Amino acid sequence: MNAVFVACALFAIGLYGVLVRRDLIAILASVEVMIGAPLLLLVALGARLDGGAAVESIGLLLLVLAAAEAAVGLALLVLVARVVRTTRADELVEVGER
Amino acid sequence: MSMTVLMWALAAMTLLGAADVLLTRDVMRLGLGLGTFLLGLAGYFAAFGFGLLALAEVFVYVGGVLVLVIFAVMLVHRERSGVPRLESRHDPLAAVAAVGIAALLGAALRPLAALDLGGVATGVDAVGAHLLGARLAHFELAGLLLLAALVAVVSVSGVERR
Amino acid sequence: MMQLLDHAWVAIIAPVLAAGAIAVVGHRAKSFAPVLALVGALTTLAVAMAGVTALFQADPHGVGPIADGGWEWFKVGGTALRLLWALDGLAAWMLLVVGVVAAAVVVFSTGYLAGDGGWVRYFALVSLFTGSMNLLVLADSLTALFIGWELVGACSFLLIGHWFERPSAARAAMKAFLTTRVGDIGLLVAIAALWSACGSDSFAEVFDKLPSLPSPTVNVVALGLAIGAMGKSAQFPLHAWLPDAMEGPTPVSALIHAATMVASGVYLGVRVWPVFEVSAPARDLLLVTGVVSALGAALIATLQRDIKKVLAYSTISQLGFMFAALGAKAPVAAFFHLVTHAAFKGLLFLTSGSVIHGSGTQDLHEMRGLRRDMPLTFGAWVVGALALSGIPPLAGFFSKDAVLDSVWNHAPLAGGVLFVASALTALYMARATRLAFFGVSGADTHVHESGPSMLLPLAALGSAALVAGLAGGPVARAIGHDSEPLVPAVALIALGMAAVSSVAGWSMAPDPQADLAHQRSLGRFGVALANAFWWDRLVERSIVAPAVGVSRVLWAWGDRLAVDGLVHGIARLTESAASALRSLHRGDAQVYATTMAAAVALMLAATVWLGR
Repeated sequence: MNAVFVACALFAIGLYGVLVRRDLIAILASVEVMIGAPLLLLVALGARLDGGAAVESIGLLLLVLAAAEAAVGLALLVLVARVVRTTRADELVEVGER
Repeated sequence: MSMTVLMWALAAMTLLGAADVLLTRDVMRLGLGLGTFLLGLAGYFAAFGFGLLALAEVFVYVGGVLVLVIFAVMLVHRERSGVPRLESRHDPLAAVAAVGIAALLGAALRPLAALDLGGVATGVDAVGAHLLGARLAHFELAGLLLLAALVAVVSVSGVERR
Repeated sequence: MMQLLDHAWVAIIAPVLAAGAIAVVGHRAKSFAPVLALVGALTTLAVAMAGVTALFQADPHGVGPIADGGWEWFKVGGTALRLLWALDGLAAWMLLVVGVVAAAVVVFSTGYLAGDGGWVRYFALVSLFTGSMNLLVLADSLTALFIGWELVGACSFLLIGHWFERPSAARAAMKAFLTTRVGDIGLLVAIAALWSACGSDSFAEVFDKLPSLPSPTVNVVALGLAIGAMGKSAQFPLHAWLPDAMEGPTPVSALIHAATMVASGVYLGVRVWPVFEVSAPARDLLLVTGVVSALGAALIATLQRDIKKVLAYSTISQLGFMFAALGAKAPVAAFFHLVTHAAFKGLLFLTSGSVIHGSGTQDLHEMRGLRRDMPLTFGAWVVGALALSGIPPLAGFFSKDAVLDSVWNHAPLAGGVLFVASALTALYMARATRLAFFGVSGADTHVHESGPSMLLPLAALGSAALVAGLAGGPVARAIGHDSEPLVPAVALIALGMAAVSSVAGWSMAPDPQADLAHQRSLGRFGVALANAFWWDRLVERSIVAPAVGVSRVLWAWGDRLAVDGLVHGIARLTESAASALRSLHRGDAQVYATTMAAAVALMLAATVWLGR
């Protein structure tokens, strides 16, 4: 199974999860899946294109980016859970109507 | 041959993990699925010869992010009785959009996917030199980003104390 | 005086201005309202007196207008709409009628309506009516006449509905308005046809062009005018509104529904006589409707219990005499009868007002022996009744003789019927007189004679009824004819029949029981008479009910389904579209994200497909 297509499939799964999962925790997990997809793509293509150190460096930087995203996202999740007493995305509609 | 088997195994691992993240209704299984997915990803990195990246993936994610996730789960549901079910609102339009985007990406990337694997020459020295040399600006930016994220997390979490 | 004649239009303007002034200041100074209305009526009277005096001084056959004038109202293309007025002999005499009756009615009303809540509105409307009637009378163009015609109709509607809180009064007003409207359509058609055929709406110009018009056009015009006149003058088959119009205050009945407005149909016939002169079918229509109305209404009047209904049917009957005279080519007789009838019928209505005011009832069976308690009113009634019955030397004798003679010579059958109707007139007046004023009076002590404000007008109109018979010659000369001499044979026959039927009517109703017994003895015919030949029920079933049915269908299907459906449908469409669109931005971030993802997918697809 070619890793490039696996990456595409992962992206689809992650995107669909972001769109349809109701719980913020599951949405954040889906976002991680989505971030994993380009990472895998980078690595798979880098292996083919003789990237070497450049590919690995970019990968590391992407990891950092993803880690920062996860930290901020989870912090927001905790905040929302505390203030609104829910972690469900569809119960947060009032934010949009105010 | 063994490479092909490895690729299939890694594909199965990541996809199943991702599918579990997508479909499960149990928080703990969600964490487990995510861990499986991330480990599969790390396996990919290693299989393609990026050992350092694989290591970082395992440390940062499987160690850090997963702990963080479980921590968040416990924090979130601290006051509730029992573990909530995770629900989905399955939507054909979203499915079409996701599959469509993925299919188009796949179609666009097919020529690249057909290329043969080239030689991968890496080492921690080379990566370090690259990061502190050609990519120094990016490296510093990434550090700045992490700092900003740290401040943001503290600031957002600090609301409780007010 | 010549100046007054040159400005005869003040007879139109003054009462209208008075009406406006009453409406504005009337509520502050209530006693001022009748004064202003009287000023309007007296202005009319002054102009009329000046005109009639000028007629006596003038050349005996001067038919042309004494004074005239007019304004151009507006112009459409080459056609100008002009409001022309002219004071000629006919208008002068008619103005005299209007002025005398209006003045008498205004004075009478101050007593009759004392303490009425609608006092101010009443006098304003009476004054407005006087002005409108003067416009109708002085009009020298078809449009001016039509404006006056419609204005008096509107005033009639408003005054019949004076006590509009009574449903019967509101219904009667509506009925009068709608029924006369049927006739007004005929008048409107006639005016439109004349105007388009002659290119002018001035009477003089129209009459000049009349000989050159094709005969069908003339007949259409004349028939339209006849129908208009029938509606206004309550002639069969458009008569049913007049008895109901008695719901209005009695002085209004005297002014509008006896002396002036209802007579304006006859006035119209005389005014446009040149048209009728050349249209035999229209004259025949006038003759037939007049004879039918005269006999039918007289028959109905013999059994009515309401004193005002007796007088109302009597009015229809007498107007029928005038219509028959018009149909018999005798406009002079018709107009003469109009003048005398205005005097004695106005008197009778005001007298009945005095009776109602004094006795508190309109039912003849409830009034007994009023002559002792109301001697002056009784005297006035007798004068009016004798004049109406055609007893010399009172007014009705002369004018009715002229009518009977001309109709008899024109069509003996119609003349014969009119003789019978004339005899019936004496009969129902004798019956009503005996029921109301004779017999043993009841124990009621509240019956009282009316005050001077009501007796004075009775005296004025009573003397008018006494002497109006002398007006035959001047009236005839005023409209350009020689006065017809009294025909002794006709006069004697009519008088004899009147005397016999008076006795019959007198003996018919010595007391209410006898009256009822007499009605029962007539059997089914009596029931028919008491119910006015069920005409109202017939109209109700054959015209009103189908019209209401059609309206209901139009309402249910046309209005409710089509119009309302369209309106509501648009509202619902907007609503459902809005709620459908609203679901797109309920605030659910994932829905937004889905939309964005779908859009990205589309853009990618476009890039891939179009980029090839």
